[in-house]
Amino acid sequence: MKAQLLTHTPLSEVEKEFPNHDWKELLPHLNYTFAIEKISRACTHQLVRHRIASFSQQSQRYITVKRLDERVVTPESIANNKSFETLIQQASEAYQRLVEQEIPREDARFVLPNAVESSLLMTMEGRSLMHFIGLRTCNRAQWEIRKLADMMLAQLREVEPRVFNNAGPYCFQLGYCPEGRHTCGKMKEALERYKV
Amino acid sequence: MKLHLITHSPNIETMIATSMLTTTSGAMPSTLYNRLLAKPEKVADIVGRIEVQHGNILEHNRLVWKLEASKDEVLSIMLRSRFFNITEAEEDKWVVSSNLRTLVEYHQTHRDGFSELLVESIKEAAPQVYQFIRRTTR
Repeated sequence: MKAQLLTHTPLSEVEKEFPNHDWKELLPHLNYTFAIEKISRACTHQLVRHRIASFSQQSQRYITVKRLDERVVTPESIANNKSFETLIQQASEAYQRLVEQEIPREDARFVLPNAVESSLLMTMEGRSLMHFIGLRTCNRAQWEIRKLADMMLAQLREVEPRVFNNAGPYCFQLGYCPEGRHTCGKMKEALERYKV
Repeated sequence: MKLHLITHSPNIETMIATSMLTTTSGAMPSTLYNRLLAKPEKVADIVGRIEVQHGNILEHNRLVWKLEASKDEVLSIMLRSRFFNITEAEEDKWVVSSNLRTLVEYHQTHRDGFSELLVESIKEAAPQVYQFIRRTTR
């Protein structure tokens, strides 16, 4: 997995024109574009649930998946799991056979698993990004998207520390856990972890 | 009404070309972007052939303007497009921002003074897109 912040609109440029404005109100005017690479299709499904964002994702209609077994994301919990390995092998063979039979890639891809790697560009404005970080760095988030959100946050803190030093899981941003009875119960550790 | 482009995402057209290639190429988007940064002529060629169908290629950027306009004029803009972000800075002065898709689609559907100001403001920031708009909407 790789996440690289490619471009952003700096807060300081907007503040030059509007020096007396609270940066929180200027957040929707700032944009951040990331290249997100080699994450699972399962993870990209989670990403696109964040609707106030823009995505350009590698298309399985145009790009043939070569050597599927080398292009999957494997969760730790099923690493070396025979059932998983067998399924990937079978999916790989089925996909290749379909492509060789000149079945359109848009149809051949129906045998591909959620584990298959994908890469994309994602752009979010500042306010949506704070929300994304709040939800996806939370201990309750799924491991892959949490790892991605942490990578993104580290880069955001480098380029725009005044804004993103305030970002982290919602317990860090709000000072309380909004997860109610689903709370992980580790707020103290989370605050320590995201403290600057 | 006055409109002044304060800032915008860097390398807007490089990003448009990266977005176009990302969907159809097996190369990583960061590799594509970094390669294209060194090849402005290729970017101009790719973006020069733009046909806006999937407008998402125009969404990986942001343009931020200072708008001097009355509340009525701003309300009219907001009613015509839901996709501009608008913040009141002071009396009759506004921070307005959007991506290029919003700008292009606004211009395609509304030919008013604001639309003209928007298009003229991107002449340098996105020259190929500017040419595209002028070519297709005159």
